[in-house]
Amino acid sequence: MGIFQLDAYVLIIQGKDRLSFIDGLSTNKVDGDCSTVFTTTAAKIIDLVDVIDMGDFIAIVGHQPYKENLIQHISKRVLNQDISIADISANNSVYLSTEDVDVVDKITKRNTWRGWLLVAPNSVSLEADMTEEDFSEYRVANMIPHQGHEITPNVHPLACGLGDLVHEAKGCYIGQEILARMRSRGRQGKELVRLPNPVEGATTIGVNHSLAIVRLKSGE
Amino acid sequence: MDCNTCDTAPAIVINKPEVVNVNLTITTKAKEMLDSAFDGDMSHALLVGVLSGGCSGYMYDLQIVESTDQDCQELSVDGFRVLVPNASSHLLDGIEIDYVDRMMGGGFKINNPNASSSCGCGESFA
Repeated sequence: MGIFQLDAYVLIIQGKDRLSFIDGLSTNKVDGDCSTVFTTTAAKIIDLVDVIDMGDFIAIVGHQPYKENLIQHISKRVLNQDISIADISANNSVYLSTEDVDVVDKITKRNTWRGWLLVAPNSVSLEADMTEEDFSEYRVANMIPHQGHEITPNVHPLACGLGDLVHEAKGCYIGQEILARMRSRGRQGKELVRLPNPVEGATTIGVNHSLAIVRLKSGE
Repeated sequence: MDCNTCDTAPAIVINKPEVVNVNLTITTKAKEMLDSAFDGDMSHALLVGVLSGGCSGYMYDLQIVESTDQDCQELSVDGFRVLVPNASSHLLDGIEIDYVDRMMGGGFKINNPNASSSCGCGESFA
């Protein structure tokens, strides 16, 4: 369909403990490129981020309005680890392409569950040809939750379609106890669905269908 | 991503908590278990630290060590040499090291007045 510019931040994390640090604080197994979710002790979402392993450092790409909460969350947990964090958001723009596109070397491209993530320095121009409506339609068609719509601080990852990013066997991380209990008891409370319009309480409205987070019936 | 920008990117200041002079206590049961673990070799020390992570945000880290490269304060508690990393001292002041027997296996337990909550297994706290 095209390329959409995300309202995103880019943080770089350097130091030998960079991967284990992020792994210990988020839901997915972090040992390289991946998407993962930072959650509170109550398993509510702080942000969904894409982790890009650049070799000497990692970049984490998240939703700009959630940046300060994420920084506050992770920075207070730097104790003895070899970790430094820098914000390169002002120097880069972030895009999501629905198709694999050829890009110049300066643009970092990663294939993610949402599409191809492109991180471009400001010196490189990239045309974003998708409108907000186009992007919503793409997300509705592919059941892709997005920050500010389905992914908010009020929900846990299992309720908004991020269950695939909650690793079942990685061990402890913040919020793990609650998410593991929900899974083991089969009680996640709510789930992301796509329904034909009109949809009451829709989180993303498409032309014919919409996304919504609905309460599961008892026992589901 | 242009890595030239990475070298000049503004670093996010990580505010290091103030180092606290730690006081801690060890229960009688825990002393018995430590005596057994040390086996009379008091050249070693009990390292009481905190790691980030775990279900609640922080995890206790208890080790018997000869030495450590961490910046630590050294305490003498009931004849035991105890090392507490300065980086986590603010989380450990006032703790009690206990040992509990359980049907499913016992272990050291930290009672921490600084913790607002802890996870079910007791190894993690917030």
